[in-house]
Amino acid sequence: MSTSLPATGPEAAAQLDEPTREALAELLLAMADDEFVIGFWDSEWTGIAPLLEEDVAFSSLAQDEIGHAQVLYQLLAELRDADPDRIAFGRGAQEYRHARLLDHPRTDWAFSIARRFLYDTADAVRLDLLAASSYAPLAGVVAKMRREETYHLLHATAWVERLAGGGEEPRRRLQDALERLWPDALCVLAPLEGDRRLVEAGVLAEPLADGEQRWLTGLAPLLERLGLPFPFRRAGARLEPAVERPASPRGDHSASFEWLWGEFTSVYRSDPEAAW
Amino acid sequence: MEVYEVFRQEREGAPMQHSGNLLAPDPELASHYAREFYGRRQESVRLWIVPRAAIRDLSDPDLLQPPLDRSFKKPVGYSADIKRKLAAARDRLGVGSAGEPEAEDPVVAAGRKGAEQA
Amino acid sequence: MNNAARTQAFYRHVASGGKVEAGEWMPDDYRQAVCRFVEMHANSELMGVLPEREWILRAPTLKRKLALTAKVQDEVGHAQLLYRVAEDLGKPREAMLADLLAGRTKFHNVFHYPTRTWADVGIIAWLVDAAAIVAQQALRESSYAPYARTMKKICWEESVHILHGRDVVLTLVNGTSRQRAMVQEALDRWWGPLMQMHGPPTDPAKDRDLAWRIKNKDNDTLRQEFLSTYVPRIREIGLELPDPELRQDPDSGRWHYTEPDWKELYSVVTGHGPKSKERLEFRQLNYEQTRWVRETILAEPKAAA
Repeated sequence: MSTSLPATGPEAAAQLDEPTREALAELLLAMADDEFVIGFWDSEWTGIAPLLEEDVAFSSLAQDEIGHAQVLYQLLAELRDADPDRIAFGRGAQEYRHARLLDHPRTDWAFSIARRFLYDTADAVRLDLLAASSYAPLAGVVAKMRREETYHLLHATAWVERLAGGGEEPRRRLQDALERLWPDALCVLAPLEGDRRLVEAGVLAEPLADGEQRWLTGLAPLLERLGLPFPFRRAGARLEPAVERPASPRGDHSASFEWLWGEFTSVYRSDPEAAW
Repeated sequence: MEVYEVFRQEREGAPMQHSGNLLAPDPELASHYAREFYGRRQESVRLWIVPRAAIRDLSDPDLLQPPLDRSFKKPVGYSADIKRKLAAARDRLGVGSAGEPEAEDPVVAAGRKGAEQA
Repeated sequence: MNNAARTQAFYRHVASGGKVEAGEWMPDDYRQAVCRFVEMHANSELMGVLPEREWILRAPTLKRKLALTAKVQDEVGHAQLLYRVAEDLGKPREAMLADLLAGRTKFHNVFHYPTRTWADVGIIAWLVDAAAIVAQQALRESSYAPYARTMKKICWEESVHILHGRDVVLTLVNGTSRQRAMVQEALDRWWGPLMQMHGPPTDPAKDRDLAWRIKNKDNDTLRQEFLSTYVPRIREIGLELPDPELRQDPDSGRWHYTEPDWKELYSVVTGHGPKSKERLEFRQLNYEQTRWVRETILAEPKAAA
């Protein structure tokens, strides 16, 4: 890990030039919004999951995501000298920068599992790209997040296997979910405007596009073994999608997300200046 | 679905304590759920997850609380006698006791305390 | 020992503070009484999740969202622990859920009422949970040992909820005048159900749950304990209680109050509360929609040992 920058947020932020700071803010917002929104959808299962034991387990996953969002909003707040709750709650729906993968409601259990699987595996690669980040505050936070994500990956993979091998109905639901989700899954590691600059500054180890290739290559064996949808074809060393990546990977959010936004900001908006 | 009993250890070196049980379809999920129920608040450093079917229960009072005297195996079997005989030894030597109860032998006290904490 | 003598010995055992474990012999009456008691408790934890989970989505800060999600998660966990206790007494979980959804078994009155504002979240977490713990602490010495042990874990977890609830209420009373009005309004609405929560006074001589030490304190005692602890704490932060008769006798320490509406209580717990039907239907729908997942899990061959 680079020790060229001090560990505290505002000092570390001051060491970056303006364009790099902008690019970093864009990345942090994308990651924080991703964790925030998936945490919301998954927290909806609290109290109504298929099995009481699984209810408790799934709720912990949702809480972890919100906890990660919290630390990421905190980093962003230090970068911009702002308030984390205001960043989290104070924007209009279309100003959120989460991947469109997270615009879908939780739908059914297979859908939620499929979405978690796609998101967590992609996020794991993204965290790998940040593990040795020259921006020390982020590297520190990423190290902790990765340790929690191990459990998430185990849970998601175990459920994908269980549904894929569980008979006709679970298998069909999982297949349908993956087919619907694949195009939007390509939004998680879609390039950001400031990608290259972050790689040059040592904040990111590789461009997101390279990370996306590694993610897809990593998933291929499992999905092929289980006979699950994997809409990609090999073109030399790369995997090219056979589905279309959305034009606006982190924008143009769905009506479902607008509904969610209405809910999660309702109390906050009743008095944004109040303490809650 | 099977019942799994969960034992947890609160800190390093502490004994495994029975904490509860849960239902799970396989050992892998049983471990996940045990973590949720007995570890999500960082309250444990170790968990043992055991199928209930693997546990042998023994509660027969004839075996565990046999009725005939076993005080020779416990401190209480000695304390009264020692007190009496110590008084007799002092009398023989003409050394009066101050009439206060003797402080307990610290080595014996430490030994008993250690066992009680276990 | 014949059955009658065995039964007598058993009741002497529990009446004098003896404990009973799962799997030990017990008279059918006792088994059914414990099961019914635990089942209602489990049902209440499960149904209690519903009024609160709506607010998980609406929690206005990250910290509150985490705290509320964790609280509701705990309630689900409590439901699981309690259903497990009842299952070990011989009633399968599916049968208990079926009875709950069909209205054949009950859950506590407070969970039949709507939540209208964020202030409700604070009032429930602080005062409803406190009233519940007052009852649950008395169950830590239950003659049925698996239940007693579960109560210890539950009380420990619930104590955090009370702190969270009090923090929410304090933040609101220290906030804007609208926030203060919100929490007073919520308290006004919840006070009636809270006073009914521990149930009407019962005749100890006829209360089998008391005689067999399934529970160790009667309803009236629990309500008095709740009032003694919480009325001062409510008043000291400037909130008013909507009962003009509420006062403590300076000599005996006993609280006097307007007699709670026991007819309302009976009507509500038999399924006629403002939200009873809607919540049970929601549970039913959800249970149906997730049936395929349970069937998938149950159809699995067990992993080789």
